Amino acid sequence: MSGRAGTVVDDAVADDAADLAIRTRGLTKRFRSQVAVDGLDLAVPRGAVYGFLGPNGSGKTTTIRMLLGLVRATAGEAEVLGSPMPRAIDAVLPRVGALVEGPAFSPYLTGAQNLRRFDAADRHSIGSTRDTRVAEALERVGLSHAAAKKAHAYSLGMKQRLGLANALLMPRDLLVLDEPTNGLDPQGTREVRALIRSFAADGTTVFVSSHLLAEVEQLCTHVGVMSAGRLVAQGTLEELRRSGGRARVRVRTPDAPAARRVLAGLGIEVESGSAASDLEVVVGTLPDDEEAPEAIVAALVAERVRVRGFAVERASLEQRFVELTGEGFDVVA
Amino acid sequence: MSSREADATTGAARDADLADAGGTTDTVRRPRAAASGTLRLLGNELATLFTRWRTWAMLGALALIPILIGIAIRIAGGSSAGRGPAFLDQITGNGLFVGIAAMTVAIPLFLPLTIGVTAGDAIAGEASHGTLRYLLIAPAGRIRLLVVKYLAAAAFCLAGTLTVVVLGTLVGWLLFPIGPVTLLSGDEIPVGEGLLRFLAVAAYVAVSLLGLSAIGLFLSTLTTVPIGAMAATSILAVVSQIVGAIPQLEALHPWLFTDRWLDFADLLRSPPVWDSFAANALLQGAYVLVFGTLAITRFVTRDVLS
Amino acid sequence: MSPRTDGRLRSRALLWIPAVAVPAAIAAAVIVPMQASAAVDLPDKTVAELLEFASTSDVEAFSGTIEQTSELGIPDLAGLTGAMGGAGSGSADAGARGDDAAQPADLDDLISLATGSHTANVYVDGSLARLQVLDQLAERNVYVDGEAAEGWFVDSETKTATHVVLPEGTDPEQLGAEAEAHADVSAEEARARIEAETGAPLPTPEELLDRALASLDETTEVTVGTDARVAGREVYELVLEPRTDDTLVGSLRFAVDGENGMPLAASISARGADEPAFRVAFSEVSFEAPDTSVFEFAPSADFTVTEREIPIPTEQELAEWRAGLEAKAGGAHSGEQGVPSPIVHGDGWATVVELPLPSVDAEMLDSLTRAVDGARVLETSLLTVLITDDGRVLAGAVPVERLVEVAAAGAADTGR
Repeated sequence: MSGRAGTVVDDAVADDAADLAIRTRGLTKRFRSQVAVDGLDLAVPRGAVYGFLGPNGSGKTTTIRMLLGLVRATAGEAEVLGSPMPRAIDAVLPRVGALVEGPAFSPYLTGAQNLRRFDAADRHSIGSTRDTRVAEALERVGLSHAAAKKAHAYSLGMKQRLGLANALLMPRDLLVLDEPTNGLDPQGTREVRALIRSFAADGTTVFVSSHLLAEVEQLCTHVGVMSAGRLVAQGTLEELRRSGGRARVRVRTPDAPAARRVLAGLGIEVESGSAASDLEVVVGTLPDDEEAPEAIVAALVAERVRVRGFAVERASLEQRFVELTGEGFDVVA
Repeated sequence: MSSREADATTGAARDADLADAGGTTDTVRRPRAAASGTLRLLGNELATLFTRWRTWAMLGALALIPILIGIAIRIAGGSSAGRGPAFLDQITGNGLFVGIAAMTVAIPLFLPLTIGVTAGDAIAGEASHGTLRYLLIAPAGRIRLLVVKYLAAAAFCLAGTLTVVVLGTLVGWLLFPIGPVTLLSGDEIPVGEGLLRFLAVAAYVAVSLLGLSAIGLFLSTLTTVPIGAMAATSILAVVSQIVGAIPQLEALHPWLFTDRWLDFADLLRSPPVWDSFAANALLQGAYVLVFGTLAITRFVTRDVLS
Repeated sequence: MSPRTDGRLRSRALLWIPAVAVPAAIAAAVIVPMQASAAVDLPDKTVAELLEFASTSDVEAFSGTIEQTSELGIPDLAGLTGAMGGAGSGSADAGARGDDAAQPADLDDLISLATGSHTANVYVDGSLARLQVLDQLAERNVYVDGEAAEGWFVDSETKTATHVVLPEGTDPEQLGAEAEAHADVSAEEARARIEAETGAPLPTPEELLDRALASLDETTEVTVGTDARVAGREVYELVLEPRTDDTLVGSLRFAVDGENGMPLAASISARGADEPAFRVAFSEVSFEAPDTSVFEFAPSADFTVTEREIPIPTEQELAEWRAGLEAKAGGAHSGEQGVPSPIVHGDGWATVVELPLPSVDAEMLDSLTRAVDGARVLETSLLTVLITDDGRVLAGAVPVERLVEVAAAGAADTGR
């Protein structure tokens, strides 16, 4: 597989570094001899909901840890919100809310106490507004009723939401959410996705990692695909769909030769057909600068080709990802 | 937004490594609040430490020492001079000595054990709960977090020694007659001055435990298994005392962090010998310096994978 | 690995350098100046001048901390005697237990003195003096009030305070005057004797000193060592080294304060040893009069107070005592009440003292000593003790071989 991310990166996005919330160049992490992340070139535009997609163990969490300064890169560099990490960690992280590898809390403290603790850890947070902010964050994730409960009594879904509340203690420019729906029931999953959409609606850049294709398809505007430590594709969802090979056009018509002529005239590679019946199906592959489907139909009709059926077909995203990663994805929503 | 960006550039220009850097300027966040921010984190850490059930269980266990000593001597009667732990024979005559006798009993094992738990848990405990990563991305700052954790452990040292001395004195007050305090030199001082000396003893022992706390903190940065750091710290305290008891290793003795643990008695002389307080503080300071530096070096470069 | 990775690893290793460098730098910052300032250069003095300087020292008041360390090379016996005490009280009948308990404790004290290190505070102000021995979790005190003619010995471990007084009616000042008169008489006597011996007029004190040194010089090399620093004071060092090889003693060193002539340290080193086997030195000293409160002592009610009167011998008693001593020295074995008088072999550094064997716990003896031909021997770095199977004890600051030699000669004498 040619695989390197650059092949699908939208050049316009890559070039405008100032508009990137996250950018990495050749970001690499080796644990002893094992390469966990290999030469990553991430480009996450500001305001995007970026799906960081890849099977478990493909290096997503390690990448997130490097972006947040928890793990030191073996090589390469990372910029978050325009500042180098981990050098500018103190300036950057207060503007970043994050959920890394599941929520984690001191079991002997209540939900609210846990949030207050993390908030106090940020030296620039204002103590006098802490209680209000904690209450608001709990309210937003629907945990107000459980604020005084010890964290060890929380269900997994509640913990996940408490983790999100922690990410929301302050106005954030970037949210980094590592598998935010992991382990949640369908109801919880829906709630969390709704929350993520609401963050994005506020204009916050959201970087969300997932191993669920459907989740990324539902939530994200951009996507990066990880496989075995490498970023194998990156771009908008649409770009990725298109990259999965060119679309094919199928025309069902009794006037097959005319249709072939018209399609070829439009630059479509027409496959040599077989006249199985009077209603021949003409199949062609669209060029990269494809015509809009309606334009193709208009052209056919203009040449008096009787069009009885017309379809433009594309490979599904799932097929595309299987192609990229060599692995299947959970498609369970 | 623009002010934040400008600030981020400043951050980038700063030549700070993983270590702490200065403050940010922001409309939402406090502009220059590093010092008070650290105090608030310390306050929060202390509140967290002292809301833990475990902390109170350990202080309770320490409190049990003077209580048991008081009750046992009340029931069984005093021991004769020169038998049993120091000061034990004085309790029947003066209940105020329960605290000091309990301190003598607590120093070799019980206090180091609780310090081992507190200091050994400092970083490793957060790592094992996974809260370490959230504290670091808050961002707490690695050195700042270590300093706060260490100060909290030091506060626990003082809480532990005060528990033993104050509770012991109270128990003695309830169970035995009290009176002027007999010093090691053989003369007496009034009760009030005696109580002040006892508080000074609590301070002395708390200072004695600072070196061990630093060792515990360093060990705590090495692992994500808190019980390992706790056990290693406690074992080191015992080993150091054993080495201190072997005359053949006398050359090592002045360098052991346990070497001056029992010299708290120098405060019960007439006049009080403050030299050993200073010498002990210097010794503990050296341990704090060495193991503090090791802990910082280790923690600042460590990959947080828990 | 790529060169880039190597660089990373190296930089990570470099990060550990401060962990070592910071404490090292601080240690250096503390220790180096101490050593640099340790170079002391006092005005030169000859041995005689130094002795004169020390003897005319007129320090009236001082206080300080004395450290005493012993490294006599005796195996540690603290545990041993403890075990013996336990065994003793277990096997012996109840009546004897009291004695048993007391004995190992005393032995422990002795052994700890010979093996351990001790710290004591000293306070002196004119006729007031106090020695405060700082033991771990315990303390011993000696208070002396010369003017009131009383003193205290206080032991916190046994909770005892012994009040020592001179008999009532004794006037310390008169006593002092008597002693002085007596000393004057003795000095007169000595002067007369010297004049008679030398047939020369009275020598000056300097000449006396020179003569004493000359006679000392036969056995001992006396030198002024390098100036040093003790307890932060600049000191002269007086070094005495035996001229004979027949002794275990390597050197004796005394440190004399460069300003006021007070001795601040003394040590004995075994031959060939780097560290002194025994050393007493001030670790801190101040020549200001200590606060008077340190001399005040009122025993706590917790302490058992014993009153003890020390009778002062009258002039006549003293004379009798002296006569008794001389008689004893004359007729060697006229010994009364079974008090054995020692036989002295040789002189100077290689002197060997011989005593009949007192009753000793045989088990204890075996554990302390090792067997040599026909005897058992206890060796320390400074002192050797030989216990012959025929019941004699020989001791001296000499190698075992010399003791065995002397013992053999002695046996031959008595055999003859």
